[in-house]
Amino acid sequence: MISFGKPLKIALGLIVIAGLIIVPMNFNRYGLFILSQWAVMTIAAMGLNLTLGYAGQVSLAQGAFVGIGAYAAAIMTTHGWPLPAAIVVAIVLSFAVGWVLGYPALRVQHHYLAFVTLAFSTLAFLVFRNESWLTGGIYGISNIPRPHIFGFATNKPLPFYYVCLGSLAIVSLAVWWLIRSPWGRAFMALRENPLRAQSLGIDTRRYTLMAFAIGSALGGIAGALYAPLTQYIDPVPFNLSLSLDLLMMVIVGGAGFYFGPFLGAMIAVLLPEWLRFTEGYYLMLYAVAVMLLLIWSPTGILGILDRYLAERRTKAASALRAVAKSRLETVQ
Amino acid sequence: MKSTLLAGALLAFATATSVHAQAIKLANVAELSGGGATVGTNWKNGIDLAIEEINAKGGVLGRKLEVSHADSQSNPGVARAQVQKALDAEPYVLLGPGYSGSVKVTAPLAAEAGIAQIMGGEAAELTQAGNKFLFRTSFGQQSSMPKVAKYIHDEMKAKTVAVVWVNNDFGRGGRDVVVKELDRLGSKVVADLSTEAGQADFAADVGKIKAANPDAVFVYLNEEESARILKELKRQGVTAPLMGETTLIGQKVIELAGDAANGARGHVGLTTDAPVDLIKAFREKFSKKYNYVPDHNGLKGYLAVYMVKATTEKMGKVDPKKFAETLHGLTIKAADEPGILMDVTFSDTGDIDRQSFLVEVVEGKQVVKQVLPKVK
Repeated sequence: MISFGKPLKIALGLIVIAGLIIVPMNFNRYGLFILSQWAVMTIAAMGLNLTLGYAGQVSLAQGAFVGIGAYAAAIMTTHGWPLPAAIVVAIVLSFAVGWVLGYPALRVQHHYLAFVTLAFSTLAFLVFRNESWLTGGIYGISNIPRPHIFGFATNKPLPFYYVCLGSLAIVSLAVWWLIRSPWGRAFMALRENPLRAQSLGIDTRRYTLMAFAIGSALGGIAGALYAPLTQYIDPVPFNLSLSLDLLMMVIVGGAGFYFGPFLGAMIAVLLPEWLRFTEGYYLMLYAVAVMLLLIWSPTGILGILDRYLAERRTKAASALRAVAKSRLETVQ
Repeated sequence: MKSTLLAGALLAFATATSVHAQAIKLANVAELSGGGATVGTNWKNGIDLAIEEINAKGGVLGRKLEVSHADSQSNPGVARAQVQKALDAEPYVLLGPGYSGSVKVTAPLAAEAGIAQIMGGEAAELTQAGNKFLFRTSFGQQSSMPKVAKYIHDEMKAKTVAVVWVNNDFGRGGRDVVVKELDRLGSKVVADLSTEAGQADFAADVGKIKAANPDAVFVYLNEEESARILKELKRQGVTAPLMGETTLIGQKVIELAGDAANGARGHVGLTTDAPVDLIKAFREKFSKKYNYVPDHNGLKGYLAVYMVKATTEKMGKVDPKKFAETLHGLTIKAADEPGILMDVTFSDTGDIDRQSFLVEVVEGKQVVKQVLPKVK
């Protein structure tokens, strides 16, 4: 069963990756923009999935970190710095701020923590808007350049889509490694039962702060890509609603599942676009679809799959047991 | 038999496509949901009304107008995606968006595609970047605010002025221009107060105005907030004359503020309360169709479509590439094209020049005190 499943999974993965590389070559600018947006939002949602899904810390501040990354990239690249340097700064900055934001999480949990991070989100928005000497205030920053990667200009939509997709691939690999490392297991232990985790010798304090810092850093990367993608930023896209959107992506996709953010971002970014043919009703239909999904499966889309697989495994195990039992009976 | 059928089908198909090709396609991207939903909905309804009228009279150069509407969710990122989608369908002209931020992020796309964009944003800087494809439907703040500052200095004879503004791109843009102009004319700004959109309590702000004791107060807030500050100004007994722009003396503000609105003055570029017969007729048609009185965004959407009509008829053909070139420097007279409502001239930067009005609220009614002429 397993020996058959693994090659199938790998083949499926390769098909999806090849599809993501080849199919968009025929897309128009709009399609490419939406797909790039999906890649960027997936990165941000993966960060929140680490903080929320794996480490169990409710954060309503991920949108603010996307904003921090976006402003870092916008300010630096419009002053002539290359984008990779801006991404590094975005990572370091978001990591540091995320670390500091982690401290309240040591004292409060659940909805109290949600309120603390919500306050931070509002604070970040006010800073973006009011510190106009740095952020351009309400006028925002325009003409954000797209980078040259190894001498190739990425001004056009297709090359920049590959920049976003490539970044997503790198981040995905890093996260894949992280959640399979002792760190990832420590995060999960933290989520399942902090007391027991501590009794097993896990420094819960350090891992809580880490969960926030790493998750935030991924938000920063997403922001640093968002700025050159839209080429204009102002404070509005980074208000609380982005944090809520990202939260929805993680929950709808399936919090704590590796592929959750990919699916969640697809639903949040692509589904409204697919529903646009219904004109004035598309946001309503979208909201209803999300609500129905969460009523049907509070653990998200991957939760459905998980339940289905678990059921099959149980059935298979019961069948095996029944066979074994009847054999035992015949022997007797 | 078969071949006849096939030929028939082909013929039907050809006729269908040629009829289809005859329609002139416009694309509208506006704030149909989110914070700017009122702006976008008024704008959209204005467009639909104009198109319905024009098509009922046989269209433009004998061709019907057709428009697609897309929702920007009042978010510049989404606006960009939607404008990209609209441009991929190669429209004749792009209409919208209404928010200055969304215009800023989409204008380079339209310019790159060589498609004219007729939009509702009023921020001063939009037309100052040298974009050859961007057109306004109303005054930019760089045109209206100097008129306001001049009135405060010359007519109100104010040596000291308090300025209250709402901290978004609309309020900040207006504040920046008016403060600069007042400074140039020699009126001193003694209080410079920023407020939040949706703010409910203006007691502290009015307290500061009172403490500064200015000769005049310039108020630049959204409609509901304007009404609230007018009430608070009256409550705290501020007697300095009040000056504003379209949003201070609109019908909605007068309804909400009641007595407190009396005496407030303002410069009005585009309003359904303007003493112009064609605008009154528009207001009637609009309210009949949609059951509410439009704000200036309804007018803007309506005008945008008539700008397309007048320009196309001037060219005598449908040519998206030459459209922007023709509209620059064009004067459209209301006598020739009633849909344009007032005589208007478009500058080389896509800015607009037309009459505007100085209004005062007297006993709960707008009274036009002066008609400010076109600059050129």
